[in-house]
Amino acid sequence: MNARAKGMAKLAYKWRSYGAGYLFMLPWMIGFAVFMAFPIGWSLYLAFQKVSLSGTGFKYSYIGMQNFKDALFKDNEFTIQLLVFMQQMIFMIPIIIIFSLCVSLLLNQQFPGRFLFRAIFFLPVIFSTGQVLTELFQQGAGDVPFIAQYGIDTYVTENFSKSLADPLLNILGMMILILWSSGVQILIFIAGFQTISKSIYEAVRIDGASPWTSFWKITLPGVKPFIALNLLYTMVDLFTFPFNPIMEQIKSNMFNISTGYGYASAIAWLYFIFIMILIALIMLFLNSSNKARRA
Amino acid sequence: MQALFNQIRRLTLFEVALLASLLLLAAFLALPIVFIINHAFKPYNELFQFPPTFLVKEPTLSNFYDLFLRSSASIVPFSRYLFNSIIVTSISLFAVIVSCSMAAYVLSKYRFGLKKAVMAMIMLSLMFAPETVAIPRYLIISWLQINNTYFGHILPFIASPVAVFLMKQFVDQIPNELVEAAKVDGASEVRIFLQIVMPLAMPALATIAIITFQSVWSDGQASTLFMQDETMKTLPYYITTLTSGANNTVAGQGMAAAAGLLMFLPNLMIFLFAQKRIMETMVHSGVK
Repeated sequence: MNARAKGMAKLAYKWRSYGAGYLFMLPWMIGFAVFMAFPIGWSLYLAFQKVSLSGTGFKYSYIGMQNFKDALFKDNEFTIQLLVFMQQMIFMIPIIIIFSLCVSLLLNQQFPGRFLFRAIFFLPVIFSTGQVLTELFQQGAGDVPFIAQYGIDTYVTENFSKSLADPLLNILGMMILILWSSGVQILIFIAGFQTISKSIYEAVRIDGASPWTSFWKITLPGVKPFIALNLLYTMVDLFTFPFNPIMEQIKSNMFNISTGYGYASAIAWLYFIFIMILIALIMLFLNSSNKARRA
Repeated sequence: MQALFNQIRRLTLFEVALLASLLLLAAFLALPIVFIINHAFKPYNELFQFPPTFLVKEPTLSNFYDLFLRSSASIVPFSRYLFNSIIVTSISLFAVIVSCSMAAYVLSKYRFGLKKAVMAMIMLSLMFAPETVAIPRYLIISWLQINNTYFGHILPFIASPVAVFLMKQFVDQIPNELVEAAKVDGASEVRIFLQIVMPLAMPALATIAIITFQSVWSDGQASTLFMQDETMKTLPYYITTLTSGANNTVAGQGMAAAAGLLMFLPNLMIFLFAQKRIMETMVHSGVK
């Protein structure tokens, strides 16, 4: 009897909290539905249409899967660029994650001028979006000018064999991109370190663990959810980076009269499905690490 | 704290080397900042030098004079763009923080049927190419008849999926027991949110504030697509007009460099401010 009454009360209580919850979510939900969900749905609809611009506005005509077929089998630019881009990603994502983990570990230490260092490492994020970055690239600050300026490239090619020099120069060339896209990740890691209690470190230290083992046994498992979060963030960030070749293609197809907006939408959706599969794999990792942590 | 101090005292050779490399990387990262600051003060002959130089040799304020004085003679003065940008960014920032943190709290701490669907939608929009939604968005904006108003600038940003996602992940780390304890003690939802979740989520809040600020502040899309009225456009749009199209003149390059610095400084300031907040909250952090 008592248990049932408790259950009823619990239900009523839950019902009340639901109401408040929906109310809390309302402003965001409305904005999201109108400016994100609906436009995305619309673009899916457009992916099956041939969109042409007439004097009075847009003209749609249904063409079925034609856009998707064109993108996959006829357009020899899209598929190749996608593959090339993928190769780059596999290379860059681990570098970014490991780099930001190392830097955030160092920035988490107590040393004079830490504040300044943190600021400097986050600054690229401020550049790496939108107008400022475009501006910098146009003015030539983006492509590691000092490598050529100080003759680093000739130094590398003269002192190493060709098979070693090429990848080395490649990494050097991508260095700015890698460093520039790790600001938020560093911040997330630093926030993540704060969730690990200091007393654990103390306990481990008293038990005679070196900083090295305490990193592997305490810090790394502790920030595992944040590694997953960063992995996701990095992927999304790189995939929607305005300078990435696929984005350029979507943009150029959007205003191309012969292909049009419908085709651009179809490419975007294909690209999205592709990312989705990758993200799903990461989400699996994220969920399992969360579960392992709670257990 | 003590443990950290002890770690410093036991700095090994390896750690010293790491610190040195950190210094090197920091210097490398700071180069663009040095560049953008120096670029704004370059006279014309240095702006167009090839190969481009990093440091300015004869600093001059003429670019800034051009930006403020010469452009005030044009139809829409520079100050109008600046004013628009400030209004739009500050309102958006406030709206995003309020709406996204509330939504994140509910998404993280409540159990309800639609939750999975909402999370799926967030993931979807996170990964979707932002360019593709531009035209549907334009149609919605004109259907709502909010083009050429500040609403047209602000509303599309409110539904930021990134902010909600980051926030939700962080609120997940706040123990459920804390929220439940407050509930048992009779705290209302609003009170739990304001007095327990918000203070604990301060680092995440600062992070989303930075991200939102820079995306709104440097966004030229709304001005290009939704605003036909020149007086409603924002600073990033103005900078693109300086370097492209009919206005692409020698003076335009100097003005663009100066405007670039002006675009960048608020980013730096808000970052320094938010950074301080992060540090403060980390010291008092009750998370775990």
